[in-house]
Order: sequence, then structure tokens, then C-alpha cells
Amino acid sequence: MIKKNLYFDIAATTPLNLEVTNHMNEINQTIFGNPSSIHQIGQKAHNIIERARKKIANLLHCKESEIYFTSGGSESNNIALRGVLNKGDHLITSSYEHPAILEVAKYLEKNEIEVSYVNPDEDGIIKPEAINKAIKQNTKLISIMFANNELGSTNPIEEIGQLCADKNIYLHSDAVQCIGKKNIKLSESTINILSIGAHKFYGPKGIGAIYIQNGTIINPLIIGGGQEKGISPGTENPSLISGMATALEIAMNNLEKNNLQIEKMEKLFISLLDETDIKYSINGNKRLRGFINITFFDYDGYSLLLNLDMNNIAISYGSACSSGSAKASNALLVTGMKEKIAKNTVRISIGNFIEEDDIKQLVNTLNKIITK
Amino acid sequence: MNSEKTVLVAMSGGVDSAVALLKVIDMGYNAIGVTMKLWEYKQVGGNVMKDTNCCAIESINNAKLVCERLGVPHYTIDFTNDFKEKVIDNFVDEYLAGRTPNPCVRCNSYVKWDTFIEQADKLGADYIATGHYAIIENKENNYEIKRGLDSHKDQSYVLWGIPKETLSRTILPLGNLTKKEVRKIARENNFENADTPESMEICFIPDNNYKRFIREYTKDEVQNINNKKGRTLNEEGAEIGSNDGYINYTVGQRKGIGLSNPEPLYVKKINSENNSITVSDKKSLFSKECSVSNINWLDNQLKFPLNVFAQIRYNGAMSKVSLSNNNDKLLAEFDEPQLAITPGQSIVFYNDNERLLGGGIIEINE
Repeated sequence: MIKKNLYFDIAATTPLNLEVTNHMNEINQTIFGNPSSIHQIGQKAHNIIERARKKIANLLHCKESEIYFTSGGSESNNIALRGVLNKGDHLITSSYEHPAILEVAKYLEKNEIEVSYVNPDEDGIIKPEAINKAIKQNTKLISIMFANNELGSTNPIEEIGQLCADKNIYLHSDAVQCIGKKNIKLSESTINILSIGAHKFYGPKGIGAIYIQNGTIINPLIIGGGQEKGISPGTENPSLISGMATALEIAMNNLEKNNLQIEKMEKLFISLLDETDIKYSINGNKRLRGFINITFFDYDGYSLLLNLDMNNIAISYGSACSSGSAKASNALLVTGMKEKIAKNTVRISIGNFIEEDDIKQLVNTLNKIITK
Repeated sequence: MNSEKTVLVAMSGGVDSAVALLKVIDMGYNAIGVTMKLWEYKQVGGNVMKDTNCCAIESINNAKLVCERLGVPHYTIDFTNDFKEKVIDNFVDEYLAGRTPNPCVRCNSYVKWDTFIEQADKLGADYIATGHYAIIENKENNYEIKRGLDSHKDQSYVLWGIPKETLSRTILPLGNLTKKEVRKIARENNFENADTPESMEICFIPDNNYKRFIREYTKDEVQNINNKKGRTLNEEGAEIGSNDGYINYTVGQRKGIGLSNPEPLYVKKINSENNSITVSDKKSLFSKECSVSNINWLDNQLKFPLNVFAQIRYNGAMSKVSLSNNNDKLLAEFDEPQLAITPGQSIVFYNDNERLLGGGIIEINE
């Protein structure tokens, strides 16, 4: 895996697991049929997909009929919001969701759907009380991310779900950052709809899934040949789908081991940082392991990112953004953080391949840059 | 010898800055490519399906491809707030005041150089470099700008406002090259942008539609002007016709006046305060003097009165001029009458050796 460049940005994406790569290569070389074809070549492709669906359903403790493959987290989020809400409905979401929720909500507002945006508290957590206050007669859907992609803070999803249960409100959660990092038992959960993206758990990019609890009514966004029961039509890609299932299986089988290793590295990072004169503070509460949203009070975050990159160390400022914008992160501002502090804040996220020497090199380089 | 020094190269995404980067690397420096993000589409509107402008996503992508090809890192740095405050707002204000601004000069004078040097400091770089066609010479630690070798491409005209103290840290690698040579070098090196067309428009008005831009940018203020017809006056002040509103005209313009006259008519003066334009025949557009504001000198040794050469428009000819200080104002008197001296444009001074002495903004005395 990546070694030459030290990669501390697994919240943006993860490298592809080697076993998954090999598995996908093999499928790509041997299976080419259209999963919808009747002949045996098509059947082979079809069966790979259905095996993957069973595997994912098992790992997430739900029924295979509740898993639909999509092109990734963004598509899943779009299906969840646009597929459920109609004119006159009310949506409750948070102000620090991923753009694939926030921008969709803004779009829906233009189409006569009412939206309430709930702010996180200063620890980056959405309080169930705040959600409760926002519920109205016409509330149809609550969409709250499982863990925030910048802070790593995890939300009390089940408590929020309790609010929906007896009110005929659907609960959707964008769980893209959590899957493969936490045990999620969907059969015992109050979640009705859940978004999944493979490239955050060492799987391939361009593939994801949406969990839709049986009985939930969702309209498709794309009309086509009826694949995925019409929810996400288009000829399926067996290697991407099976690659995702394999990656999730590896992640869940190694969950405890990985989390222990990452926790160890996180503690090492903080203890080494404490030995320096660097002034810092870590933001967010109930964080996913390895998510370190950190303010370096004496250094501009964007410049820190560039200087680290020139030392072949990758971190991130805000969340990954293609346009090169260096504005202070919205997710931090809505927690009440001052803009100046937000501009001095970066995200360091630790993957399961990070070792002690990597952490030492990171802290040494940080020290060199910040206290020079 | 240069290998210990790092240069921040400003990459617009065009062919010039790509070759500038190559030259910096050839000189033995470590290089970092940086694209300054100056504006965003959601800010400026217009047609986004166009890719020849700097700051368009496609241009930034080209800069990245060239940097990767040459093995140097590339970063995009956000200067949109600075650019809006110092360039776009001023551009709009000037137009609304009936003047003809030059935003490229403003950008170089107030955004690019200072912020780029600041960025170089943040990234531990020693120098900055750009793809401008002009030459910087070091004469015993006194740094001077001279015209670029390619007289068609020379860009010294837009550099008069850069802070003198930044010259010692600036490298202009294209000054001794022609555009033709630059394209050839880019092709030989398979640069992705070797054949991208020259962009002639103002970067933040990609559709070149000033009227649309100003209308959208200052919704309320301009509503008035746009909805009303402007008056067209002759030199005596008599109303001889109507027009689409003063912001659609620049001094010296002939097209779009909409009056038939035996002699062609030109815009002589724009009167923003009463939404009118004054038109005249060509002869009366000539004048011999103007005053100069916002002056920046790149030579500290000048004594006034001073006889030098002046250029009053991009790619314009040089004319002899005499400069004198008059009540704290710099006055420029030309030897020969000049056509359409345009308020808001730059007047740029050179010595007889094509050295850039400085410049300022043209003001017309009433």
C-alpha cells in the first residue's frame, strides 16, 4: 500500500485493499457477461452480484432484499432524499451534512419541499432534543449523518430514530464514513434508509449501496431496465460490486484489530505532539477512531497542508474539494467555531496501514514546519 | 547553483506560464506551480461552457497536467476575496463612473505580486515567476523592467504598478522569447496546453459581455441605468439623439452610436452623472494633455520636469511626453496630439532605452 507518500487522509478515500484488487482483477478477466442475460455467461455475472448482496446483508445484519447497489454515496443520498420527499413534505437534516445531502436539500427547497437545518453543538454532535423541536405535522424524513466527515463525531442515531418511530417519519443516515469502522446492526436499528460508499473501507471507487428497509416507499430517480428493482437501473458491474463486498468482509473481520491499531497510533500522535511546543486543540466528541480534526493555533491550515505535501505527507483542509477553494470549513463554522480558528484547522485521518514510524515522521515534520 | 532555491511559478493554465515553469526548472531551481483562483463562476455568471480562460476549471486542470509532466507539485490557492475587493469591485465602480478601467493592471498592482510573494514566504520559496513577456535586469542590485523581446507580445504595459521592492524576487523567464518560440517549446515538450488559443477577454468576464456582467453584478444600482435610454449630446451640449445608456460606451468608440452624420462620429466623453455621452468628429478627439493619478515609480532617481516616452493603451504606440509636478498632481503634456486619451486607462512611461519607469491612471482635467 501507499508508503512513499505518507497518507493521513483516509477520510477522503482509502487505498484499495490488495486482496480486493486481486479479486476484482480476476472477475474482470473471467466474467464479462451481462447480469441480465439468460445464458450461462450472463448467469455467472448475475450470481457474483447476488453473492455480494448476501454477503453485505449478512455483514450489516439486514435482509438481502434491502440492499441496492448504486454508484456511490452521492447517488444513495440523492435516492434517499429525492425518492422519498414530495411537494409539501418537510425534511429535517443538519447543517453540516455532506454536499450530497445539503445541496440536494437546497434543490428540494426550490421545489416546494420544506427543510429545517439543525446545527450541531460545539462538540459536533446533533442533539435529539434539537431534532425533536424541529418536527412538524408534515415531517416526512429526517436525514442525519452517522458520523461527520470532517470532525469524525458520531451522532446518537438510535435516539433520533426513537423520535421517528411512532410518528410515521422515515430516518435516513449517510453512513459513508462509518461503514467498515463500526458494527452496525440494521435489523435492530431504527434506521430506515442508509447510504454506503465502498471507497472509504478500502474498496473500489464508483460503487456504493443503499439500504432501504422493506416497506419503505421510494421512487427511483433514473428510469431504465429495471435493475436493482428499478432503484438504480443500468447494467451492473460485477467486479465493483463484488470488490465492495469483499472489502467490507475484510474490514468487518478485522474491525477490532484495526481499531486497536488505529487507536494506538492516535494516542502516540497526541503524546508525541505534547512533547513539542506546538499549540493545538482537537475538535469534536465521540470521534471515529483515527479522525483527528485539529486546530494548530499558530498556523494557517491551508498553508500547513501545502507544506506537509511538499514533505510528501498528505492531510486535508476541510473536506476534499475539487475547486481549490480555501474557505473556512462550513462544518466547523456551524459548530460555532470562529472563522479564524476554523482557518487554522486541518483533518488528519489515520488508516489501518499507519505504523509508529509514520506517526513519528508526521510529528517531526509538523514540528519543523510550525515551530521553525 | 540554483538548486537550493525554490521558485513559486504562477500558472494560469495557459501556454506562457507552462513554458515559464519549464525555464525555471532549466535554470536549476526547485519549482512549485501555483494557480491563483481569482474568481468563481457562481460569482461572475456568464456561459460556463468555455475553457480558454484562466481560473476556469479546464485551465487549472491544464496547469496540473503540465506540472505533473515536469515533476513539480501544483496547488490552487484561493485569492477570490482579495480579487473581488481590489479588482472586480473597482472595475464595476469605474464603469459606473463612466471610465474605462484596466483590471489586469489592477490585479498585477494590488493582488498578484504582493499576495504571491506572501504565498512564497508561506511555502518557503525564495522567488516568484510569471509568464509575462517582459525582462527584469539587475543593474548593481537595482532591478529594472524592460520591454519583452517580442514586440507584439510585450506585457510591460500591465506591469507598471507592481511594487518595486518585489522585483528582486521576481523572475520573468519569457522576456527574451517570442510567442512563436514559446509555442514551439510547448509543442516539443508535449504540453497539454501547447495550442490553446490566446484569451483576449477579461478573465472574469468569460463571455466578454460587460453589459451582462455589470447588470448582474450590481443588480439594483444599474437597474436604473439599463432601463433608461441615455442622451447623446454634441460638443455644444445639445441633445442630438438617444443611446442604450452610458455604460455601453468607451471613449473613442465609433460603433453603436446610432446617429447618421456625414462625418463619422465618435464618443468623446462619458457623463455618468446624467447618463449621457458627448460625441464629436475624429479631429476633436485629439488632445495634448492629461493628469495622472495612482502613480507608481519603478525608478527612484527621476527628476521633474522629465522628458520621456508614454504609452496610453495596451499595444499602443509610444509618444514623447513631458512630465511635471503641478500642485501635487503629475501633469503629462504630449509633443503631438493623442487620439482618445481615455480616463481610467493606464499611462505608462518608458525611457529611450525601452526601460519601464512607472505609470499611473489617466485623468482628464475639465
